Amino acid sequence: MTTESDKLESLVNRRYEHGFVTDIAADTMPPGLDEDVVRAISARKNEPEFMLEWRLRAYRQWRQMQEPTWAHVHYPPIDFEAISYFSAPMSDDDRPKSLDDVDPKLLETYDKLGIPLHERARLAGVAVDAVFDSVSVATTFKKKLSEAGVIFCPFSEAVENHPELVRKYLGSVVPQRDNFYASLNSAVFSDGSFVYIPKGVRCPMELSTYFRINAANTGQFERTLIIADEGSHVSYLEGCTAPMRDENQLHAAVVELVALGDAEIKYSTVQNWYPGDENGKGGIYNFVTKRGDCRGANSKISWTQVETGSAITWKYPSCILRGDNSVGEFYSVAVANNYQQADTGTKMIHIGRNTSSTIVSKGISAGHAQNAYRGLVRVMPQADGARNHTQCDSLLIGKECGAHTFPYMEIKNPGAKVEHEATTSKISANQLFYCRQRGISEEDAVNMIVNGFCKEVFKELPMEFAVEAQALLNVSLEGAVG
Amino acid sequence: MKPATLSYDALLASVEKLPDDGLAVTRRAALDHLHKHGLPTTRHEDWKYTDLTKIVDIGNQFLDGQWDQPTSQATGDLVNSIRDSIEADWLVMSNGIIDQESIAGLGQTGISVTRLSEADGEMEFSTPLSDLNAALLYDGLRIHVAADAALTRPIGILLVDDATTSPGMSQTRIEIELAASSTASFIEYHASSGSADHYANSVSNLKLGDNSHADYVRIQERDRSHNQTNRLTVGLGRDSRFNHCAFDFGGRLVRNDLTVDIAHPGATAAFDGLYLAGGQQHIDNHTRADHRVGPGISHQEYRGIMTGHARGVWNGKAIVHDGADGTDAEQANHNLLLSDKAEIDAKPELEIYADDVKCSHGTTVGQLDETALFYLRTRGLNEHEAKQILTRAFAQAIVSKSPIDSIHEMLTTKIAERLSGLMQGVEA
Repeated sequence: MTTESDKLESLVNRRYEHGFVTDIAADTMPPGLDEDVVRAISARKNEPEFMLEWRLRAYRQWRQMQEPTWAHVHYPPIDFEAISYFSAPMSDDDRPKSLDDVDPKLLETYDKLGIPLHERARLAGVAVDAVFDSVSVATTFKKKLSEAGVIFCPFSEAVENHPELVRKYLGSVVPQRDNFYASLNSAVFSDGSFVYIPKGVRCPMELSTYFRINAANTGQFERTLIIADEGSHVSYLEGCTAPMRDENQLHAAVVELVALGDAEIKYSTVQNWYPGDENGKGGIYNFVTKRGDCRGANSKISWTQVETGSAITWKYPSCILRGDNSVGEFYSVAVANNYQQADTGTKMIHIGRNTSSTIVSKGISAGHAQNAYRGLVRVMPQADGARNHTQCDSLLIGKECGAHTFPYMEIKNPGAKVEHEATTSKISANQLFYCRQRGISEEDAVNMIVNGFCKEVFKELPMEFAVEAQALLNVSLEGAVG
Repeated sequence: MKPATLSYDALLASVEKLPDDGLAVTRRAALDHLHKHGLPTTRHEDWKYTDLTKIVDIGNQFLDGQWDQPTSQATGDLVNSIRDSIEADWLVMSNGIIDQESIAGLGQTGISVTRLSEADGEMEFSTPLSDLNAALLYDGLRIHVAADAALTRPIGILLVDDATTSPGMSQTRIEIELAASSTASFIEYHASSGSADHYANSVSNLKLGDNSHADYVRIQERDRSHNQTNRLTVGLGRDSRFNHCAFDFGGRLVRNDLTVDIAHPGATAAFDGLYLAGGQQHIDNHTRADHRVGPGISHQEYRGIMTGHARGVWNGKAIVHDGADGTDAEQANHNLLLSDKAEIDAKPELEIYADDVKCSHGTTVGQLDETALFYLRTRGLNEHEAKQILTRAFAQAIVSKSPIDSIHEMLTTKIAERLSGLMQGVEA
């Protein structure tokens, strides 16, 4: 523990404009992974037997799996034995029960990030379930939500209080052996958010979680499960930042969405984790499995993401359109600057009748970055009347970057209508010249053009996110022009 | 998935039975290369949708058979009917054996044709199937078009196979070189007959000199129980032009690889294709355009119509390498699915490492336009006729892109015949 604290100390003193590591005693396990670590994680969280069994099954499967190499990204091999699989800001016993109990240093951290938690939550009317490293430390607006019957709590709490729901839905969208990182997550996930919207309820506010990665050398394994029961509606916001560090950090989250009949889930993400410095050193490895299951008829799942951070992003929020007339949407802006690498896209699996999906993906590459769209549209034989439209545009800023598209279309039904369009271009000299002529600086002109390029996606974001996203984009592309 | 593999011992025995000529050394090297790397499986990204197990089975049966030397079997009628239907100077290879008379009969000036075994025997092999081709090749053709020559008649390359009694396998290889500022057109025609299993593996390399121009039409009309893999690699010289059009009508399992390499500025490549498949047919077209320098143009459009249990695969890849500014790459793929069990797997890929580029792709899968059908019905056509007209029109778009005008009529007739066969099973 002392070495960990020392490391934290040294990290605090490191040069970083927005950099800081909150100096609170992290309760961290030693690096390495075996069955005992899985048992220890489960024990610390006071989990029931079924959860331990579930984790162990996942762990055994993970041991037999190979790390995937198909993504269009390059990074040094990850030593999974060098990662510490659990880190909590405080021991479970004295976990803060409300905002007042929260370590002031932690609140200060949020301030530095420009997220005044209580203020923001109150002003914006947003409930914030802030995840600091692995254990949720503050959950607000619980009362208002509970009046509506909405369950919004840290995952570990859901395991304790609503085991029947967890048991029924956990792993039903992303099974334990789905892929290498999802398996790893299933074995060691620390915490995350759990949302249940009862039948016919429209969630009274937008739900939001801020993720933070803090303790050095700690992989973070979030698990989010959102269940929208029949006829319900929920909009969920996820955003994140991370302080600077030299070692790469592994983040392998799993998000599962279940939409029953006539339910709608809107899931919005602004991802701004530390992307590494301008030479590509450091940064987060973001290997995420996100999937939504439109299980009931007339259900709808909509993913909107603005991806500006992480050294490596490997993420494909997907929709399984099982229910008749179900709808899947994916709106994405992925920005990669300096040495960032992004391989992101979506999968739309059409199973029910008259299902439809829309994919709008905007990729922006600058500096030495590589940005790839990888998508799958699969229409199963029974999916009569399936409809898909995919629009996939790339914008290149600079000579050294790359933009790639790998769309797969597998169509097994003659009634399907599937369209895919993609374009790649750069900001033309004419466009820039026109703006410059009107007295707009080159950087502003580029920002304006890029924001226009992304408009289709931004308009899908909740209001406050949309503003934040535009500002984020400008910051991300700083120094890309000139 | 562990694939069935070709028996190395049987391959080696077969290679040793081939003549000790200029190709002997290369054959062994190719065999070693194949042995080292093996054949691809469906776990291999480029072979995700096409399973070679069936082909490997045929290959093993063939290698186990009494194969002393390949023989050109009774393909005379087939050869004659094709020669008569298309006006061209024909070079003929039957079951992988070159018809020497056809070489001698070439009447045009500016072109010379030799056997690969007569020269140093250098052959390129880099992929597993080109390894297999080089290892088991009896002999191939080298066609050279002299500088500034402008050939007046198309050069026909007829690749026919007959598998009457026992499973067959044949390898053909054509190396074509157009010297600077020359112009030539080629018709590569694949056909086969016989009721036994057959697998044909052809490899062609085309090198275009500076400012040269090649038109290239490939027509594949194999028996619908026979299998084929085909690879055409094209290297474009400065300011050269390459126009290619491919028509796949026959074959059971068909895989075509077309690779276009633009390593000199000013080159233009247009490659289009049509695949019509029904029954159990599986037709896979993989194209790849490498833009290494700019400016350069590659445009492609493939169209497919699938009925029955047929499966179409199209994978177009354009790679714009670092520094290839001024590249214009376009990919289009359109498909009609006309039956419940038909399938299309399409994948247009762009990999771009330069910024001053214009790249786009579009892919559609759908059915005939309801409005257009309705329009034709109001004009008194029955539904079947209306569908026939619209599918023909869909296919005809590729014929009109075909660079050799003299065969447009023949292609139109062939498409109409094939479509009317395909649509018999489709409900009116």
